[in-house]
Amino acid sequence: MSAGALIERIDRGAVADSIPLFLPAIPFGFVLGLAATEGEMPALIGWSTSMFIFGGAAQLAVLTLAGTASVWAVVVAGLVINTRHVMYSAAMAPTFQHQPRWMRWIGPYFLIDQVFALSLLRSDRSPAEFRRYYLTVGLFFFVNWQWATALGMVVGPIVPESWQLGFAPAVLFFGLVLIGVNQVPQAVAASVGGAVSLASAGLQDRLGILVGAIAGVIAGTVAELRTDGAE
Amino acid sequence: MSAWSAVVIVAIVGVMTYSMRAVVIVAMANRAIPPAVERALRSVGPAVLAALAVSLAVGGEGGPNLEIAEAAGLAVASLAAWRTRNLIITLLAGMTTLWLMTWLF
Repeated sequence: MSAGALIERIDRGAVADSIPLFLPAIPFGFVLGLAATEGEMPALIGWSTSMFIFGGAAQLAVLTLAGTASVWAVVVAGLVINTRHVMYSAAMAPTFQHQPRWMRWIGPYFLIDQVFALSLLRSDRSPAEFRRYYLTVGLFFFVNWQWATALGMVVGPIVPESWQLGFAPAVLFFGLVLIGVNQVPQAVAASVGGAVSLASAGLQDRLGILVGAIAGVIAGTVAELRTDGAE
Repeated sequence: MSAWSAVVIVAIVGVMTYSMRAVVIVAMANRAIPPAVERALRSVGPAVLAALAVSLAVGGEGGPNLEIAEAAGLAVASLAAWRTRNLIITLLAGMTTLWLMTWLF
């Protein structure tokens, strides 16, 4: 396919939908690029997470924890954060049933938070139209994510120490939690997860993250059961 | 951290992340997830992110430690996130508070 033909295949509406969702990802990518240069992991391998992991929260966890926790603790932290993608996969599965086999294999690579949120709203389109929309949104985020994190790597180290940008990941994660929580059981999960993580912050290898996460999931699940029972 | 450990981490997390995104779409296209599993999955995101946020904020080495300026930054950022649901405003509010508090005290 020539470049011109490829451009013609782009769904302009999908690009328009993507832009407002991508803007908040720019400072995130910037912080991530900075973490790649400041962390213990070799910077280029750190940047390669934008391509191989392609998920900001997990990337940031991996980059900031690398070197301060054991290899397995870092792997587990990155994976546990991305377990929510199993839910996205489940939610999109009925729509993808109408897609050709190659799309069912390639599509999931792009299934990040924003692509999921946008394309779920378009799952009533014809299979061909949906495919065009989904791939446009996915490629938009993929391409822009690469340069946003690269820019952070270039510009980040010039920023003076006094700006304390090392604290920015913690701020972003607090923001992600509060923006993402909109129901009581999820609030319970987050509160218990945070509190238990704080109580076990002295544990080696940042095991407190895992302990807190497990406690939070249990608390959130119990809260869901109680909410269901109350209805 | 050696380059080798870094490559191992990125490779495992990368392959497993793709697998988690693909698992239901590719392998279980005709089956539903049990409701109990779905309930537990809904709590995973908030619980993990909160645990991670706290751990990043207080630091892992030598026990918990949080400066007053940092605590204030997180409090203002949380308020901004809750009110505006906007990540850029959240980041600016949190970092500006941190700078102001550091400069004042």
